[in-house]
Amino acid sequence: MQYRILRFLLVLTFCLSLPAWGQNAGPQKTPQNGGDFSTNTDLTEKQKVPAGVIIVKGALASASDSTTPVPEGGTVSGNAYGNRYFRLTYPLAPDWTQKYYGPPPSDTGYYVLAQFQPSDTYKGATRGSILVTAQDLFFTLTPAANAFELINFAKEKLPTDYKVEHALAPVSIANHLFMRFDYFSAVAELHWYVLATQIRCHMLQFVFTSGDTKLAESLIQQMNQLKLPAEASPILGNGGDDVPVCIKGYARDENIIERVDPVMAERRFNSVPVRIIIDKEGKVKHIHFLSAFPDQANAISDALWRWRFRPYLRDGQPTEVETGIMFGRAPRPVRDAAHSDVSE
Amino acid sequence: MKVHRLISVLVLVVAVFLLAAGPALPQTDPGVRPGAINGQQGATPTNPLPLSSVSSNSPQGVLEFFQNGLSRFQDIESVSNSPTGNNGLGPRFNLNQCSGCHAQPAVGGTGPANNPQFQVIANGVVNGSTNTIPSFITANGPTREARFPFFFNSNGSPNTNAPNGGVEDLFTVSGRSDAGSCRLPQPSFAVAQETNNIIFRIPTPVFGAGLLENLDDSTLLANQAANAGNNLGISGTFNHNGNDGTISRFGWKAQNKSLELFAAEAYNVEMGISNEIFTQDRPLPGEDQLGSGLPASCLNLSGTGYPEDTTNFAPTVTSSDSFAQNASIPSDVVQFAMFMRLLAPPVPSTSTPGGAASISRGQGLFSAIGCATCHTASLNSTQPSNFTSSLGNSPVNAFSDLEIHHMGVGLADNVSQGGAGGDQFRSAPLWGLGQRIFLLHDGRTTNLLSAIQAHESNGSEANQVEQNFDSLSTQQRQDLLNFLRSL
Repeated sequence: MQYRILRFLLVLTFCLSLPAWGQNAGPQKTPQNGGDFSTNTDLTEKQKVPAGVIIVKGALASASDSTTPVPEGGTVSGNAYGNRYFRLTYPLAPDWTQKYYGPPPSDTGYYVLAQFQPSDTYKGATRGSILVTAQDLFFTLTPAANAFELINFAKEKLPTDYKVEHALAPVSIANHLFMRFDYFSAVAELHWYVLATQIRCHMLQFVFTSGDTKLAESLIQQMNQLKLPAEASPILGNGGDDVPVCIKGYARDENIIERVDPVMAERRFNSVPVRIIIDKEGKVKHIHFLSAFPDQANAISDALWRWRFRPYLRDGQPTEVETGIMFGRAPRPVRDAAHSDVSE
Repeated sequence: MKVHRLISVLVLVVAVFLLAAGPALPQTDPGVRPGAINGQQGATPTNPLPLSSVSSNSPQGVLEFFQNGLSRFQDIESVSNSPTGNNGLGPRFNLNQCSGCHAQPAVGGTGPANNPQFQVIANGVVNGSTNTIPSFITANGPTREARFPFFFNSNGSPNTNAPNGGVEDLFTVSGRSDAGSCRLPQPSFAVAQETNNIIFRIPTPVFGAGLLENLDDSTLLANQAANAGNNLGISGTFNHNGNDGTISRFGWKAQNKSLELFAAEAYNVEMGISNEIFTQDRPLPGEDQLGSGLPASCLNLSGTGYPEDTTNFAPTVTSSDSFAQNASIPSDVVQFAMFMRLLAPPVPSTSTPGGAASISRGQGLFSAIGCATCHTASLNSTQPSNFTSSLGNSPVNAFSDLEIHHMGVGLADNVSQGGAGGDQFRSAPLWGLGQRIFLLHDGRTTNLLSAIQAHESNGSEANQVEQNFDSLSTQQRQDLLNFLRSL
């Protein structure tokens, strides 16, 4: 009896295995939908991957709320570029337009805020371009501590095939101090006029490029219509008044009362520059990631909300302060915090 | 007589018109530069030149290793039963020979004019009853690998919440006489094209690759810092190796750290051959991540066990030359890497195309308008080399900063590799550009001017430089194109 049952089970097993065996040797089966395969030939437009959209992003900018202004939040509206973070309004010259927006903020704190060129209706005989950028002075790769030093660095590092036409010097633009220098390429027959000032510990820079010096000068003249905050100046643009004071290296040991290290789920090696605003009680009020993968931003945010700082006192009064912290891989040895602090 | 006079007048009018219009003609890409391969006298399509110290066999034996690597780079791989012992192809692959895709202008280069992937059925590399040639593989188009940025979901549409990005090999071994009962379908290329869910990559040339490999991170970081003051809207970053965190540098997104890793990945992904670094046969991304891997009938097709490419424990050649014997011992991957490492970089022409004066002006323009900020003409200099002296203490005239840059929506491929996002690409090294046929990461154009213009789009770091290029005169642009084709 046991032998019969065993024989029955063996036959049953053999029969059940036949289809699977045949599958290997048989003709190719049409794969099911999913993964690398699709049999769907009746797809609507909505089911297609949209063209011209970057869906899979790398490290990107993000913030803890959508109402606090951030540097990359500027917009071109009507005939002006506006930026709430820098409290900047830049009326555009007639017939100039932003054809393309710029790249996201870099992990060294560099922003392409806007770039303009003549529009299709432009009537001028010569052309040029306007580039508006910002460099976060907390994260610059250079040794510069302020906008004056940074634009001077750029001038000093200018390749030898350019000729400096106008040495670095202060100029008044819209009743604010800027640093300006001009250079020229003989082979390209192009002139660059570079003007910079400092707002909230960022170098705000305007670069005018053209073969026509009159056009470039006229664009600089139009800069007098700029609206800028009172702090704007090549060295002293350190926030204050209606925005937090910005201080490099404020998040150093003697100012930190409580610190929690972020727990990263994945080991990455990118730099993660972060600007935080600390309120009058020493709590983190706002977090701005200049460049971070979403999992990094989540982990660092979770930690930073638990940090506590010694309140920053200005004239004996607690004051909101904005500072920068580099998480992840620091791209360069950080300069001595005490040396690089912005003087108050 | 009147007709003759009329014709003469017409010819004269046309000639005068052409002469008058000559200077106003738009700039044109001079095309692939003729003349010596890689600008090197003595190089042939199948014998690219090694570095000078390798040519002089210093240290002794290095030339044998180069020659052995060059030979293996040209081997034709089989699934099993190869008369030369080159087994392990597939079960999925893009071609059966490294030098099939890396062929222009010589072995080690990029895709050739006649696409070998288009010939795989005619040549019996794949079975025409079980494989079709995807429509994006054409007789004279670029050799390509394909990737689906997103997985398909169960209703057959791409799921933009499910990034894929892995290589979808074009062909399968199914139906080959040496592939047993393995039956695999090709990925759904046609639907992927219909749904805009496919991107392409072409082979990167590897001439001079050993010099890139031998640059210390400090050199790259110093170059990045030196360019930090540019007034061009440019600020790149580096991709990093996930194991040790150092700067990675090979591949379109600088996703590979070393030439050995680069070779091992290609052997596994492009040819389906497992090796000492990638030790299993590779399923499609969906088969692995969303399914059950490869079917048992498609595993160990070579019959050798895994990995299919290994170190040989004894010399595989009979030779009185002990160095030739030594060179036969390492695995294919090690020797592929050695071949790439020891290849000489291309030598630019000083006079072709357009003449020396035009090239010189173009070089100046390339720097002046900002191209050289990313395509850094020269990185100084390599570390001392423990392989051969030419790899050490040498400038690297690659025209690349080896950084990854945001290239905007126009070039974005929605594929993430390492730290590089969907629109970030390594500044492609431009040495050897003069003799490349297909341009940009996907080979979308053969026209250098189109390739330059593709650098401009929303989100690109190159927009300002592109603006500067647009502001140049026709003659200046022609000089720039001539310079680029001189490389």
